[in-house]
Amino acid sequence: MALWVDKYRPRELAKLDFHKDQADNLRNLCKQSDFPHLMFYGPSGAGKKTRIMCLLREMYGAGVERLRSETMTFTTPSNRKIEVMTVSSNYHLEVNPSDAGMYDRTVVIDLIKQVAQTHQIEINGQREFKVIVISEGDELTKDAQHALRRTMEKYVATCRIIISVNSTSRIIPAIRSRCLGIRVAAPNETEIVSILQSTCKREGLTLPMELAKRVVDKSERNLRRALLMLEASKVAKAPFTANQEIPDLDWQVFLRETASQIISEQTPGKLEKIRERLYELLTQGVPPNLIFRGLVEQLVNNCDMSIKAKTLEFAAEYEHRMQSGAKHIFHLEAFVAQFMNIYKKFLSELVMTDDF
Amino acid sequence: MSARKKTWARSAFSEMSLSVSPATTEATPVKRSRTSSYTTTTTRVSRSQTGKSTPTAKPLVEEDSVDLTVLSDKEEDSQGPPPEVKENWMDSFAPTTSEDLAVHPKKIAELRDWLRHCVAVGKKFPAQMCLLTGPTGAGKTATLRVLAKEFGYQVQEWINPVDCEVVNALGDQVSGNAYVGSHLEAFKSFLLRASRYKSLLESQNKRLLLVEDFPNVLLDEKQDVNFEELLDEYSSYGKSPLVFIVADSKSRGLNISYRLFPDQLKAKHRIEHISFNAIASTIMQKSMKAFCSVMQQPQNKALYKLPSSSVVDSIVVGAQGDVRNALINLHLSSLKGVANMPTKKLDISVASKGRKKKATQSTLKSIGRDESITLMHALGRVLNPKFNDQKMLLHSPEELTESFSTEPRNFVNFVHANYLPHFKDIEEVVSAIDDLGLADALLNEYREGAVSVTGLNIAIRGVMLANSAPVSGWMPVKGPKRINIKSLATLAEQKLVGVGYAGISRTHYATEYSSFVKSIASRLSEVNSSQSMELN
Repeated sequence: MALWVDKYRPRELAKLDFHKDQADNLRNLCKQSDFPHLMFYGPSGAGKKTRIMCLLREMYGAGVERLRSETMTFTTPSNRKIEVMTVSSNYHLEVNPSDAGMYDRTVVIDLIKQVAQTHQIEINGQREFKVIVISEGDELTKDAQHALRRTMEKYVATCRIIISVNSTSRIIPAIRSRCLGIRVAAPNETEIVSILQSTCKREGLTLPMELAKRVVDKSERNLRRALLMLEASKVAKAPFTANQEIPDLDWQVFLRETASQIISEQTPGKLEKIRERLYELLTQGVPPNLIFRGLVEQLVNNCDMSIKAKTLEFAAEYEHRMQSGAKHIFHLEAFVAQFMNIYKKFLSELVMTDDF
Repeated sequence: MSARKKTWARSAFSEMSLSVSPATTEATPVKRSRTSSYTTTTTRVSRSQTGKSTPTAKPLVEEDSVDLTVLSDKEEDSQGPPPEVKENWMDSFAPTTSEDLAVHPKKIAELRDWLRHCVAVGKKFPAQMCLLTGPTGAGKTATLRVLAKEFGYQVQEWINPVDCEVVNALGDQVSGNAYVGSHLEAFKSFLLRASRYKSLLESQNKRLLLVEDFPNVLLDEKQDVNFEELLDEYSSYGKSPLVFIVADSKSRGLNISYRLFPDQLKAKHRIEHISFNAIASTIMQKSMKAFCSVMQQPQNKALYKLPSSSVVDSIVVGAQGDVRNALINLHLSSLKGVANMPTKKLDISVASKGRKKKATQSTLKSIGRDESITLMHALGRVLNPKFNDQKMLLHSPEELTESFSTEPRNFVNFVHANYLPHFKDIEEVVSAIDDLGLADALLNEYREGAVSVTGLNIAIRGVMLANSAPVSGWMPVKGPKRINIKSLATLAEQKLVGVGYAGISRTHYATEYSSFVKSIASRLSEVNSSQSMELN
């Protein structure tokens, strides 16, 4: 039993549902014996990983789909042991170095060395290099990126690197110039609707058009989210109806509640409670920039026109500081405090003008 | 002084000759008592406990002859008039009776009770143990020495030996087969033998072992040395009471009493734990007076002048309950031919009889104990800022910054974790958190060292100045929170996601998968269980 997302994931470049021209280009790329390092970039849930797997299959055949996961252990220079989970086949290895946190540099260097120092045993009919897939490459620290740049050049004979990133802005220019960038844009709404419909057809379900539209709206053009959402709502209520409830992401619900609490009361005591909630989100693993963004969206939607600009100004300032700082909670809290302050002032002015 | 040096040299030679002679090949640890006179357990004991110093002029030839004659020689000398210059000037100030001690009477009574207990059960259970802890200069060792004398115990102290190579000459083998004796072995043999056998030349029959200088092997975490086993052995074979003295230390890693004496070990061997406090300033004042009167004694008068009362007061303030440090400062400031010590004014509000009164205190400018304040203290000063009449901060942020400049990140985190309940108004919170955020950004800048101190200063100053009317009340201090992102997926959920789960980062899983997968997985397990029910 697998999730729909995996069950109906296209396995070949020819079977991709959208961006077909690009798929053709990728196929042409594979026809040659060699290919450069690649960087897939695009928003979350646009099908970057799917495309990478299709590409690998095109090159190596069905063997890449025999996946196994293993935990690799790395030792940092300070003698700390870190465990990183990897998914690999005989031809490629997929790793997510961001789990190693600030030690990702060691992971990147050691991993590539390990993979690149061994040649493929059987060369005939195969490529003579392995592929390392680095997902969430934009979470790599600058340190790790510089290490990556060096190892990329050194082991170019035995391995290729495919990096999957959300935005190239956080990748250092040195790596950007060494990779062939491939942009994977998010599918548009009609594309998602048709995918949802075909999925339901294959599952033997009928999907009302309104429901499909609502799922697409809610998923923010994130195909993975849309499919998961659809499956979760199927689990909740088996034959679809047009206006059935669609489950939300729980952290978004939590964030919405947090925002309404901020608007309800503006005191230091409340701020402390908000801090606890933010801590809870952070320990769940929700990245701070997403928290920040969600919070700002909710607050701006719920406040008066006159303080919207000010709120956004502060948001921009503190978000910027958060990127340069280390303790995200400081800046999240600073923003909440600022908002509370301006909101409180706004309210008291409102009371005063009412009096006159 | 010269006599002492010679003793050193001579004893070293005698030890060498000892180790060569086959009768005493065993390496014996070198023991010295506090008063720095020198003894080797097997051959020689000088009368250090009497407090008399060795005479300066003594013919060398005589010393090389038989030991006993030297001893008698010394005894004769000791009856003569005291020498002009003391070898150790501190000895003349050392307390001789328990009334002289600057320690709180309760603590003295506690230790006395323990010693009384030792004497009482001495026949049956001789190996009693006691642990004395307290800040430096609280009079732990002095109390023990005075009371041991009162009860007629002879204190035998363990001093870590200097590594010296023992030449292992076996029969006709050429020497060069040298090794360094193990400290641990030496320590063990000290514990078991010094408690058992009395010195030939001591009149007192009762002995008390003192360990203040812990062998380094015991403190090294990597070494696999079991201190507990050592104590087990001692409690079954030891023949005299054993006292451990440990000075308090701020950091946990250096805290011997915390690391070597866990609670269950104390319970197991019934180790009496007496913890001394820093000496209160009133008692300190009294003992300073006593010191001054000692200075006025005829044999000391040539050396000392009477220090002014303001100097004495500032010494007491500066010593912060450390009587040894106070004595050293007093000694220095009252030597003849030295100009008066410059003093520095301190503005400290002293709480007395329930209400606060302003008193100007001063401390010595040049010397005095380094005023280090604890984290909790400093947090209090930052979170509850006090202002003087001129609307100036009572505790300058710069001084606070200085004392925490080695660990700015930690301090800022503590401030952040605790500042909120002290604020009344959200407007003031805004400016405080704004500065904390700025400090965080600055602290993250590792390329320039000074920036982190500036960041700390901004944080401290920002929080202090932002709070115009701090909320007072009992607020427990909270530690900064650490964020450990755990993988939240259960096994069933991981199985559902499949082998690809390993390739999804924890943050990504939390934001994209978690909530949906959870509902799908729970539904699946429901279906599964109902199916199995039907099958049954």
